[in-house]
Amino acid sequence: MQLHPRYFGRNLRDNLVSKLMKDVEGTCSGRHGFVVAVTGIENIGKGLIRDGTGFVTFPVKYQCVVFRPFKGEILEAVVTMVNKMGFFAEAGPVQIFVSNHLIPDDMEFQSGDMPNYTTSDGSVKIQKDSEVRLKIIGTRVDATEIFCIGTIKDDFLGVINDPTTV
Amino acid sequence: MIEPYNKLVKLAARAFYDDLTSKGDNQPKTGRSDNRGIAVVVLDALTRRQWVREEDLAKDLKLHTKQLRRTLRFFEEEKIITRDHRRETAKGAKIYSAAVAATADATTGKEGEEKVKLHTHSYCCLDYAQIYDVVRYRLHRMKHKLKDELENKNTIQQYICPNCGKRYTAFDAPRLLSRNGEDFDCESCDGKLDVESDKLAAQEGGDGDGDENARRRRREKLKDMLQKMEVQLKPLIDQLGRVKDLPVPEFGSLQAWEARASAAGRAANGDNAGDSKSHLGYNGAPMPYSGDTKVVVDFNGTEGKGEGVKSETDSTSLKVLPPWMITSGMNLTKEQRGEVKQETKMDGTSTSTAAQYTDEKKSTIGHDDKNIQDEYIKAYYAALLKKQHELEEAAKNPQDANAADDPSSSTSIRKVGDKYKRKEDDDGTEWEEAPARGNGIGAYKVDLNVEADAPAEDDEDDIDWEEG
Repeated sequence: MQLHPRYFGRNLRDNLVSKLMKDVEGTCSGRHGFVVAVTGIENIGKGLIRDGTGFVTFPVKYQCVVFRPFKGEILEAVVTMVNKMGFFAEAGPVQIFVSNHLIPDDMEFQSGDMPNYTTSDGSVKIQKDSEVRLKIIGTRVDATEIFCIGTIKDDFLGVINDPTTV
Repeated sequence: MIEPYNKLVKLAARAFYDDLTSKGDNQPKTGRSDNRGIAVVVLDALTRRQWVREEDLAKDLKLHTKQLRRTLRFFEEEKIITRDHRRETAKGAKIYSAAVAATADATTGKEGEEKVKLHTHSYCCLDYAQIYDVVRYRLHRMKHKLKDELENKNTIQQYICPNCGKRYTAFDAPRLLSRNGEDFDCESCDGKLDVESDKLAAQEGGDGDGDENARRRRREKLKDMLQKMEVQLKPLIDQLGRVKDLPVPEFGSLQAWEARASAAGRAANGDNAGDSKSHLGYNGAPMPYSGDTKVVVDFNGTEGKGEGVKSETDSTSLKVLPPWMITSGMNLTKEQRGEVKQETKMDGTSTSTAAQYTDEKKSTIGHDDKNIQDEYIKAYYAALLKKQHELEEAAKNPQDANAADDPSSSTSIRKVGDKYKRKEDDDGTEWEEAPARGNGIGAYKVDLNVEADAPAEDDEDDIDWEEG
């Protein structure tokens, strides 16, 4: 954690902690997943003054809640975009794509100003902001990004809650 | 013990490899020269052999070495056979000469007058334990793939660009999203991506309304395929079940097998000259009297050599039984002999394993053979003694040559005579190894013809041997 000298003083430690939380929360590491929230500071080491500038570097050990999706996991997600190739949904920080061949066969794509997937009798509709329960079938982990593929074709998956009826 | 496994191999070969061709990819495949299914032939041949040199196998199957190698390489990759490559001298690569060659290898490979030229010989053998596993895995994967496609579960969609052919998976989806958010664009050429459908169930034409039918048809097709697969593979699966509880036939590495086989040969013949013969037959260009074999005037040694020689000579004249072979007396052995000869004939001209099998068969035929052989020897030497007497009485010239033989033969007779004296019976049983024995007892190649002539001149009722 690098700190500008203007923060030195009585509140050094608090400044440091808040800066940490600001920087780290919301980021993602491939190994651990998304950092959701910092829960506690374990240890702050001695600061090292950088040559040339006045910045000081502190090694900080902290605990936090992380979120990492796994293959086979069941998640609830909110639909963000519907496409004829499938739909995109978000479960917190992670984005999941469900391709149309993993959508049950009885649901058809309907384009329009509000593109959606709907059953032949119109009873179930998947559109933007619908909540769906899906199963992760694959994750792709880059250095700083995690992306998932999901399916709603299995039992007990699919729309939980229709925004139009709510 | 090994038969169920061999059956498994044969079934698997016919199920999975019957359209394999050994032609290279860039060779024209004409109707005339199409040799699809050669893989089955090769595997079948391997079920009848243990460790076999690839050149010998090629000769037996009348295949080009290169084609055979290509097929064997494919099987090695499929983990069905194991191969071993060894550097050996071309001429009769026996174990000890291989050892010699190994040391000679350290020196420049030429030692003294002998040129020890080392060629790399390749051997192959079926690997039964792996075959069992490989076949099971293959079946499992096939079923799994069909079932997955059938239920359409957990498959990650693939996309392909029609313009540039670039492929993407669903993982690339966010990257590929086009500006209008409606479809996926190719990264390089901005063409609209097509969905790549399941390979097994080709998409039937007619989307939209036909889509429902198309999907149903696909399901039906997949179900059909699964059904057909189960029905057609049932014998293979049954064989797998039968084989499951049996101990796997294990031949071990090439060295171990050779050691064991030569030990078995030794046990059968009671002498390592016999072993060297069988081994010779296996490894080298089958030359019965390869250079450095010792002149073992032993009874057993000559018998060993005789077997090999006999198999070679008899393979050319199978139908005609040797005239000296008495029909009475040992009928059993004669038939056995006939069978054994058939065996060697069927396996091709003097293949190593033929010699091996005959050796092993002979050992299994049993110790009654030993007795028969002993009795034969007595008869033979009785005749030989008689012949010697006749020769001594006959003219000088032909006798010179024979005289040369006589000392050696007399010594041998003296040696074997002991055995002869030991047992009293003499029922005049003949043996097919007579000529070989005669040859062995005499001196070597040079004298061969002479000795062969000599008996022909004599009036031998009992023993008339062919030209050895």
